Amino acid sequence: MKIRTELIHFSEALQLECGETLDSFDLMIESYGELNESKSNAILVCHAFSGNHHVAGENKELGIGWWDQIVGPKKAIDTDKYYVVCCNNLGGCAGSSGPTSINKKTGKVFGKDFPQVSVSDWVNSQKILMDKLEISSWHFVVGGSLGGMQALQWSIAYPNHIKKAGIFAAAAKSSTQNIAMNEVARESIRKDKNFYDGDYYDKNVTPKSGLKTARMLGHITYLSEELMDSRFGRKFQDEDSKVDEDVNFEVENYLQYKGSKFSELFDANTYILMTKAMDEYDAGNSKGLDQALRNIKSELLIIGFYSDWLYPYQRGKEIQIAAMNNNIKSSFLVFNGENGHDSFLFSSKEYSNAIEKFIES
Amino acid sequence: MSTKLTKIINHWVPKNSKVIDFGCGEGSLLSELIETKDVLGYGVEISDSKIEKCIEKGVPVIKHNIDSGIDQFMQSGFDLSIMARSIQCLKDPKLALNNMLQISKRCVVTLPNLGYWSCRINLAFGKMPVTPELPSSWYETENIHLCTIRDFENLCSNENIYIKDRIYLNKNGRQGNLASLSPNFLAVEGVYLLEK
Repeated sequence: MKIRTELIHFSEALQLECGETLDSFDLMIESYGELNESKSNAILVCHAFSGNHHVAGENKELGIGWWDQIVGPKKAIDTDKYYVVCCNNLGGCAGSSGPTSINKKTGKVFGKDFPQVSVSDWVNSQKILMDKLEISSWHFVVGGSLGGMQALQWSIAYPNHIKKAGIFAAAAKSSTQNIAMNEVARESIRKDKNFYDGDYYDKNVTPKSGLKTARMLGHITYLSEELMDSRFGRKFQDEDSKVDEDVNFEVENYLQYKGSKFSELFDANTYILMTKAMDEYDAGNSKGLDQALRNIKSELLIIGFYSDWLYPYQRGKEIQIAAMNNNIKSSFLVFNGENGHDSFLFSSKEYSNAIEKFIES
Repeated sequence: MSTKLTKIINHWVPKNSKVIDFGCGEGSLLSELIETKDVLGYGVEISDSKIEKCIEKGVPVIKHNIDSGIDQFMQSGFDLSIMARSIQCLKDPKLALNNMLQISKRCVVTLPNLGYWSCRINLAFGKMPVTPELPSSWYETENIHLCTIRDFENLCSNENIYIKDRIYLNKNGRQGNLASLSPNFLAVEGVYLLEK
């Protein structure tokens, strides 16, 4: 499979939901497969909060794509048949404009001054990308978790430019518990002595410790209790592979390792910004969900997982019911996926078949 | 579902109506109704393999265990709800029947008749009926609330449910004159259009 990675500069201004404006912006995108002549086979994949544009295949810098089990030749989202695009969201730290980019007005990195972007802003920027690619309608917009919120927002904001949407392990809004978890994560970053109130870029340090703790907490919420029990149980870590001597159990070692690795690669301001965008999204807003979904024309495939306690499957069901109340063609499925919230990342026969059949139907 | 039963139900479905099919199986009835009556149809099903077939046919489907309640569908403004050959599998058929009539103005229910003569012969010989229509043995059947046509019609009467139309099917799945003569003895299946 050919992987095309490109940085696209957009010189038009983007008005953001927070009131600020980005005078210009960059999007790092990756694409696979070929756009057909009628341009009717384009699929947009939206990434979750710590994801990036590298969805499928393997590259040197980012390894194997985050949705490689689902996207690729002969996979559920078949790159032999479809032209698949994903961009690193604005505010991210994988190439698109974000806190680590240079602010042209000051000549310095944006840092904490990068405007607070929202799910709507991402969708609007993806619409500008779509226009640039000269695609008039996505055949399918899909994502899991925060990516699912973008797929829902696409259906709401651009009903004439999307035929089908896949909303997986997602909700129409974050729950109180979601916001609470995210606030603990943000607090651990803010209280890191190397955070310097978000201005750490010229200090030659990064708030790794805070970011690591944030990721460790996040990681627990992505897995299910059953999976943790079956994968680690109460097994002790063997001496030779301990990340440090304080570690006792395998699960501790695993979280320490994952947290450290993440803190080397991810930007702390992006972490704060992305979690806030997730917390603040509310598809229903003051109008209520039924009212908000009124104009949707796309067909919806909503999927939840029994083991997901971060975005329980009932949240997906609520979206389907609101859609059905509005006479929108919509399906709701729930699968056993044992990987908790992360289940949407992994292929299973039922899950992959449902996606494939939905796209093809 | 047999094409004969599909045709009978099809006859009762208004064009462009909003329909929900409880226990929709592989979605063949809904697929037919979408094609011929341009309905907005939703299926409710619990089996993943059947759900996959619905998706393949482009039939919107909801994975849901009907036994856990169907009140969630009450706000959706359905014109018709359908439960074909499933009501006898539910824990609380009476509640489901009443709920269906709250979900939609009308509902279609079909059920196998335990009063059919060959079932009675089985029982006369002291055995639970195993017939082409009820093929499973007692220990593996999903039919936990079987009834006769008379039982069902009595229930409708007790619950003030109006039987707007009814068709009795013979063993060939057709509307039979003989079956209609003495349905509780000669009909294999009852097909009802109900209203409250």
